[in-house]
Amino acid sequence: MTKQITTFEDFIRQILKIIFWVLLFLPLIGVPVYYLLDTVFHFGVDVFSLLTVHPEQMINLINIEPFHSLFIWTTFPGFTFAALFVTFFAMLWERKLLAKIQLRVGPQYAGRYEGFLQMVADLLKLLFKELVTPNAVDKPIFWSVPFASMAIAGALLSLVPLGPTTYLADPPVGVIMIFAIIGFFPIVTLLAGWASNSKYPFLGGLRALHQLVSYEIPLVLSLLGVVVLSGTLDIMKVVTAQSGVWYILLQPLGAIVFFIAALAELERIPFDLPEADTELVSGWITEYTGMGFGAVFLGVYIKLYALSGLFATFFLGGWLGPSFLPPELWFIIKTFIVMTAMLLPRGVMPRVRIDILIRAGWGRLLVLSFANLFITMFLVSLGVLHIGGL
Amino acid sequence: MADIVFLAMMAVTVGGAIVALESREIVYGAVGLAGSLFGVAAFFFLLDAPYVAVFQITVYVGAVAVLIIFTVMLVRHETWMKEVTYSLGRLVGILTAAAIAVSLTFAWAASSSQLPSVPVPSTVTFLQIGQLISTSLSPALEVLALVLSASVLAAITLAKVEREED
Repeated sequence: MTKQITTFEDFIRQILKIIFWVLLFLPLIGVPVYYLLDTVFHFGVDVFSLLTVHPEQMINLINIEPFHSLFIWTTFPGFTFAALFVTFFAMLWERKLLAKIQLRVGPQYAGRYEGFLQMVADLLKLLFKELVTPNAVDKPIFWSVPFASMAIAGALLSLVPLGPTTYLADPPVGVIMIFAIIGFFPIVTLLAGWASNSKYPFLGGLRALHQLVSYEIPLVLSLLGVVVLSGTLDIMKVVTAQSGVWYILLQPLGAIVFFIAALAELERIPFDLPEADTELVSGWITEYTGMGFGAVFLGVYIKLYALSGLFATFFLGGWLGPSFLPPELWFIIKTFIVMTAMLLPRGVMPRVRIDILIRAGWGRLLVLSFANLFITMFLVSLGVLHIGGL
Repeated sequence: MADIVFLAMMAVTVGGAIVALESREIVYGAVGLAGSLFGVAAFFFLLDAPYVAVFQITVYVGAVAVLIIFTVMLVRHETWMKEVTYSLGRLVGILTAAAIAVSLTFAWAASSSQLPSVPVPSTVTFLQIGQLISTSLSPALEVLALVLSASVLAAITLAKVEREED
């Protein structure tokens, strides 16, 4: 009233202020005044029951079934949990761990203790940065890549069971489905490299294509030993088959091949040729800015979480563990240990050359995964190993 | 729920096929083809055949579509399919397709009131498929393996010959 309204912002603020005072004073003054007058004039309308809602008439949002499944998919074992786990925990852990390995201090100023709020600061920075679309890019494909990156990583995430009842999807052909979903990543990286219309992303996209296509085959073939031993393609049943002994003890070769192939699928050092900072600026994600970059990177890190979880599921017994901790916590502890092992090479390893990479993929890992499969089948046919354990 | 998924996947399949045929930009055509094949895989999921669906995705989206996109990217796209041609045959084709669609719709509408109750067939698990392939259908599997290895050998031979010519 006193201050002159000059801008639209002031106008909105005044209206909000009026609404606030009305909402505050109507129950405090208006309703008592109405009831006082009601004793005299007998209006016959119960305003109090109009303003409040009977509990049985409220919309029952929490207990209906779609909300429950929506909660599972979006929040707890699903996307938000994984995104928060990797953004606010794994990324910070990676930076502090690598800093300690290389005798640095790492993030230190955001947050009171050891820079624990650094990821929040980085997320805010990415959210507020401008989304630059370069002139020469192919816009529809260019901007569908961040969404595709997150969506495909989320699809991979849905195959990771956190507990006997806490899981997203339990398909009867889960192991092959991993193969099917991983097959989408080369398309995304190749399209990102092509749509960016720039030399560094295109080189990165081509490198990513070679690398991902070469390493997804040993990644899945190394799981066939596990499938032979557990006698099922269902991921949940693979976990319950490990109640006697973990498969990392029966399948050490398969575990090593899966681990190396997962590192290559994740484009992590020493296999970070598609992103190679020192050669290709940032590889196939060079042209992305702001939250587009953030979304692509979130997809990459959710993929890290999902593949660590799959390693823990296939070789470390998944959620199985002593009963003093809940199964979900056992799973998270194992996943965290595997993830740490996947982060460690970044602190110490150099980048491999592309010919060594391709030769190692087709010449070594593929042969090793086949050898693992044949040894397993040989031992099963001899009767040393049985389906479900020793 | 299944109806919504069916309609969405129908849109993806048909739209992807149209994009694959009609797009001027050849990379869009390849992406549309990948989307169309993915939609077909989704139909297999809806038909309760996850084994077939997963292999449809693995082979067609994961391998064939990647190969096509990769090949198409290396083609110079400045001089590729720039001129637009509309011929009489194209018009006749569109009219024929529309006529078939309309007549099928009428046939379906006429028959929907008296649908016979079909017994639901029991779903075939992939274990049964594996048993069939390894027992009674094993000659077919052998023939397929021979065809595949012959084609791989032929591809390697062709690549070797081209390299020697260089």
